[in-house]
Amino acid sequence: MAALWLAGEALLPSRIQMAFTLATHILLVPLGVAMPTLTLLMEGIGIWRKDAVALKIAQRWSVVMAVQFAVGAVTGTILSFEFGILWPHMMGRFGAAFGLGFAIEGLAFFVEAIFISIYLYGWKRLSPRAHFLTGLALPPAGLLGAFGVLSANSWMNTPGGVTIDAGRLVSVDTMAALFTPALGYEFWHFLIAIYITAGFVIASVYAVAWLRGRRDHYQRLAFAVPFTVAAALTPVQLVVGDLSARALVQDQPAKFAAMEITWATRDHNPEVVGGLIDGSGAIHLGLELPSLDSILVGYSPNAVIRGLSSFAPDARPSVVESNIAHLAFDLMVGLGTVGAALTAWYAWVVLRRRRLPDSALFYRLAALAGVGSYLAVESGWVTTEVGRQPWIVYGVMRVSDAVTDAPAAFVWTMLSVLVIVYALIAYFFITLLLKLAARWRREDATETQEPEIRVPYGPPA
Amino acid sequence: MSAVLPNLIALVLLLGITAYSTAGGVDFGAGIWDLLAGGRATGREARHLIDQAMAPVWEVNNVWLVLSIVVCWTGFPVLFQSAFASLYLLFALALVGLVLRGAFFAFRHIAEDPRTHRAADVVFGVSSILTPFFFAACLGAIASGRVGLLQPSTPVWEIWFSPMAIGFGLVSVAATAFSGAVFLVGDARRTGSSELTTYFRRRAVIAALVLIATGTAALGVIGFQNPALFRAMLTGAGLPFALVTMLATPLVAFLVWRGIYRFYRVLTVGAVGSMVFAWAFAQSPYLLPGQLTIAQAVAPQATQVLLLVVTVSLVVVVGPALGLLIYLDQRTRLVE
Repeated sequence: MAALWLAGEALLPSRIQMAFTLATHILLVPLGVAMPTLTLLMEGIGIWRKDAVALKIAQRWSVVMAVQFAVGAVTGTILSFEFGILWPHMMGRFGAAFGLGFAIEGLAFFVEAIFISIYLYGWKRLSPRAHFLTGLALPPAGLLGAFGVLSANSWMNTPGGVTIDAGRLVSVDTMAALFTPALGYEFWHFLIAIYITAGFVIASVYAVAWLRGRRDHYQRLAFAVPFTVAAALTPVQLVVGDLSARALVQDQPAKFAAMEITWATRDHNPEVVGGLIDGSGAIHLGLELPSLDSILVGYSPNAVIRGLSSFAPDARPSVVESNIAHLAFDLMVGLGTVGAALTAWYAWVVLRRRRLPDSALFYRLAALAGVGSYLAVESGWVTTEVGRQPWIVYGVMRVSDAVTDAPAAFVWTMLSVLVIVYALIAYFFITLLLKLAARWRREDATETQEPEIRVPYGPPA
Repeated sequence: MSAVLPNLIALVLLLGITAYSTAGGVDFGAGIWDLLAGGRATGREARHLIDQAMAPVWEVNNVWLVLSIVVCWTGFPVLFQSAFASLYLLFALALVGLVLRGAFFAFRHIAEDPRTHRAADVVFGVSSILTPFFFAACLGAIASGRVGLLQPSTPVWEIWFSPMAIGFGLVSVAATAFSGAVFLVGDARRTGSSELTTYFRRRAVIAALVLIATGTAALGVIGFQNPALFRAMLTGAGLPFALVTMLATPLVAFLVWRGIYRFYRVLTVGAVGSMVFAWAFAQSPYLLPGQLTIAQAVAPQATQVLLLVVTVSLVVVVGPALGLLIYLDQRTRLVE
């Protein structure tokens, strides 16, 4: 252990640190980007139908949204420094192209920070209509921010728009670098994913309330609005997800081979559900569905699928990485399918019977849908990042060439400190949310307004 | 055209750093006075005022930092790589300070047990000192000329402990304490508490004196470690800004001491901002003294154009929005 700390290379702790901080940040993204839209939708309902309960829900959501945004701002700031601390060689060489998306994201972040403050302030200080209208700046700002980050990530997957001469970036085509092939599917796939996730996560809170016996207008509204949004998008995601995977066959064949643990290039390629591949290409465990992968990709069992063994060993994911990408991919698809089934159930009841479901099993599943969609987002991200290995910029720069020259001990230490700090932040964050929830429950039970506890980073009460 | 654009991008970067130093500095300074406010009972009123002053602007300030970082890596990738290759520890420490500060500022609002609350106050205060210190130390290390091109040219610890890194760090702590106290005078006046106003007036004057002392000492250190920069600050491009700092700082101290509440906050921003400008203009056209100029480090032209478009959009979109936010903030306070 101590040997690893002192004498090992910085690569391993750098990868762990980046994975850890990104995995944390990505949990904050769905509510950060999509919650303003859901909140505005609720506020719109409140104004349109003169429904005080809807306005109350929107106001409470806006508080959660602001606190979450503050935490996301912190974890996002850490990430931007990590690019320099952990991957200086990549930034020095490709910053001029890779950074373009982030410049746009920086603009969007600025707009969001200001308009979230205005939105919180405005509840008591603007007319309902003016308040709603200023809030309308938030969804496009979120979209623009998501576009920026996904543009940068897409650039790592399908780099383009750059001219490299003797290892040096000599010219950049801005549009070509911002809109690389991967952006088309990464952007829509992720955008829909975060709206679905935000919908299911928020609805899951009120599914729990239903299970605990709360059945009033407040609970129904706060459950139905986000759940309906998520439910409407879930079938779209099945199509977009399918298109995304198919596009990888062309754009990143090594990643696709890892996701499907295909070893040899062949036709009649089976779809392996679960299972692990070993160094010789043999598949263990798992369920093999004959020819299905070929059919899914080329609409014919004769479609030829490129396998891992057709890439040089130092240009494809390792055995471990392939297995991780494969299982993460299967998990994502599996969770998406379960989500679609739940959605179908919901649609059936709502459309045929014109009311919300009243089965405890449905609400138990809906309560799990929040965690399930977070898991799906994480596993989708693991699939694309681990599947890209060993490249940091696909086909151009390896992760090991991008990593810092700092001693491993420094990176291990920083990683440990960050783990502790993140645990603290998570604890504070959850404590605050629980306190807010408890207060709101008390208020609703007694129908009184308690003196407001000051929300950190909120406006003065 | 081709020579103007890189300088404009460099100016955007400088403005980002300056905005963070001045606006963020006020926040850090408030944190420092929070730490020095004494125990739970003695410091209650001062802390309450600091809380009120800080909450609404916290995020917007942090955005300046993110913006500077992004402009740096997109606009001047080689500078970014060089700075982080040599200064990773300083950046990491500043970052940890930044995060602890934000987290514990939030936590002290929800901590119920008095001892936990007190501990949160202390972490918040200490990190309010460490963060500006380490960020400014990075600038000092760059100004010293010891940050090597693309990779460290000397052992990294020599860079971290260079007198100029420490000097810049100390000056920034003094400067944030100074601007924090001055702005808290304004906040105290708005609440109508003459006790708190006097309390922070005294601290603003003391901080101004400390700033003048550390600033003079730091100037000596610069003369010793990087004579060319020293000359440029006092006779070259840095001179006008150096003069503004040297005149504005004592002037603010005088105004606040005598209770003349005119232009004292604008002058404070001018004093702190000019300090950053004096260094940057004295060092220009070099980003890394003697090794890397703006023209050498700048990204290809298409990237420069995009950065300029982003900057202009920022001014067009964010300007009015920020105005509205400040208007709402002020109106609140008038109502209360």
